[in-house]
Amino acid sequence: MIAILLDGIVQGLQLSLMAVGITLIFGLGGVLNLAHGQFAVVGGIATALFVGEGLHPLAACVLGVLTAGLFGLVVDRTLLVPAYRCAGEERLLLGLLITLGLSFAVNGFLDLRYADVALTLRLPTPSYELGGVTVRSASIVAALIALGAFALLFAFLKGTLLGKVIRSIIQNEVGAGLCGINPGRIRTLIVVLSAMLAGLGGIAQGLFSSVGTEMGNELTSFALIVAVVGGVRSINGTLAAGVLLGIVNAFASYLVGAYMTLLILLATAAFTILLRPQGLFAYRT
Amino acid sequence: MNRERHLADYVALAAVVAVLALVPLAVGDSAHFMRLATLMLVYIAYAVAFNIIFGHTRQLFLCLGALAGSSGYVSVVLTIKLGLSPWLTIPLGVASAALLGGVFSYVSVRRGLGVIFVGIVTLVFSLIFHNLVLGLRELTNGETGIETKGLGPAVLQSAPASYYAVLAVVAASLVMYHLLMRSRAGKAFQAIADDELAAELAGIDVTFYKVLAATIGSALLGTVGAVYAYYSGFISPTVYSLVSVDIVVLVTLLLGGMGTLLGPVLGGAVFAVLDEVVRPLGRLNVLVYGVLMIVLVVTFRHGLVAMLRKVLRVRIP
Repeated sequence: MIAILLDGIVQGLQLSLMAVGITLIFGLGGVLNLAHGQFAVVGGIATALFVGEGLHPLAACVLGVLTAGLFGLVVDRTLLVPAYRCAGEERLLLGLLITLGLSFAVNGFLDLRYADVALTLRLPTPSYELGGVTVRSASIVAALIALGAFALLFAFLKGTLLGKVIRSIIQNEVGAGLCGINPGRIRTLIVVLSAMLAGLGGIAQGLFSSVGTEMGNELTSFALIVAVVGGVRSINGTLAAGVLLGIVNAFASYLVGAYMTLLILLATAAFTILLRPQGLFAYRT
Repeated sequence: MNRERHLADYVALAAVVAVLALVPLAVGDSAHFMRLATLMLVYIAYAVAFNIIFGHTRQLFLCLGALAGSSGYVSVVLTIKLGLSPWLTIPLGVASAALLGGVFSYVSVRRGLGVIFVGIVTLVFSLIFHNLVLGLRELTNGETGIETKGLGPAVLQSAPASYYAVLAVVAASLVMYHLLMRSRAGKAFQAIADDELAAELAGIDVTFYKVLAATIGSALLGTVGAVYAYYSGFISPTVYSLVSVDIVVLVTLLLGGMGTLLGPVLGGAVFAVLDEVVRPLGRLNVLVYGVLMIVLVVTFRHGLVAMLRKVLRVRIP
């Protein structure tokens, strides 16, 4: 039982790592990124390619995260510019359609060029014994990665001036602009940061299963579900929702099977939108 | 003036249908091209439906394939399991699709969901539908799909006859679209698309008209989905997936022009040609769809009809 709980928490942290990017980009840029899973896959595939070049895995992972970030930068500076020019509903719609198109373009491209590339990371020791429970070392590493990333993210958002600036834009873009903040530059920063987090999530996923070109849509849908359940503007909510859904996912997979679990998760997302569009845990960002 | 306009629209419509009716004479010998032409009509009809739902009332339904598929599966499964006539099960399938679409629309209007949340809810429904079909193996045969050869109405068994059957659906949907747009509902749709709040304040029952648009559009999606199920001789979750329906329809409609009568037809025809051009490139087509969609959304948001109107300086319905 404890093993399942731990497993769920680790999975949940993974999910949150993916979802927090969607939350950040939506909160700050007003664009719902439907290509987020593809960012993760780009990170994963890049890492696999660097490992294939003979690089040390750790260095390859760092380069993979940077590649995802670079990809995010390019997307933000080129494709999303027309969306940023609009405001309100129009921007949402344009951003949604552009990123949807992007997700297919990336899927198609990766499938074409790197169909046989997949990332699998193997750790030297497969499992540890902790207080009578066997824990996979992959879980420990993944949990540490996610917790580390979140700690850094929170420290950045709460502790630095730039973090304060970011939070101010999430609260009110016009107001922030009036205080002399340039939302465009901050937005780029956030998109890059989110893409890097997604890339990190994709690489961490490689600890458990092989990350190939076909994972993109699945990762996007899971991240989207978590972001929606957490409230697409709340970072705390996203973290909480990720862990909660991770635990639900682990127990449901154990009790009723993977197929029903997916349906349960999807239904949770649908009902959250319908009953509490602001998210289950949305009270502050 | 108004009457002349409607007459011109009907002439244009009749011309389009006549041209489409002549297609089998040109390609009749080749089974491959007949299939492509029929598929083109199927996507045109999907696009007409999406045009009503999204083009006119701004409800971003990302579950077109799922709605068409729910109708197709309901009809096929009932026909196989209960041995009912397809003439009975197709309307049942259509009704289920219309009901689903209407409920989505009603709930999202009532909850005041923005365009993006309607998109997410319907996207989630797409995923649920896909997984349900995969999971309910006893009924749907999961990923393997169901053979529907010889099950459907006789008219859908031979290639030319099914082409004309689908053409009849397309023609009927275009006429219905035209009648809908010139009625009271059409004016309401226009007002809603321009400014929903202003429409509400002007006394238009926004909920009613949005649900109406979604229900009619979904019923049309269901009709095409069911007809396609029997025509193609085989259905599987892939046939109705997001990639094979929603994306193509979005591209078709954006290409042709949203909110126009002939946009879906033009878009469908151009897309069919384009699709055939990229087919030799194999798996590249997903990449092409994606890039095309981005390019269209960014630079060509008003579509071919608007462009032709500008260039030729004629009124195109």
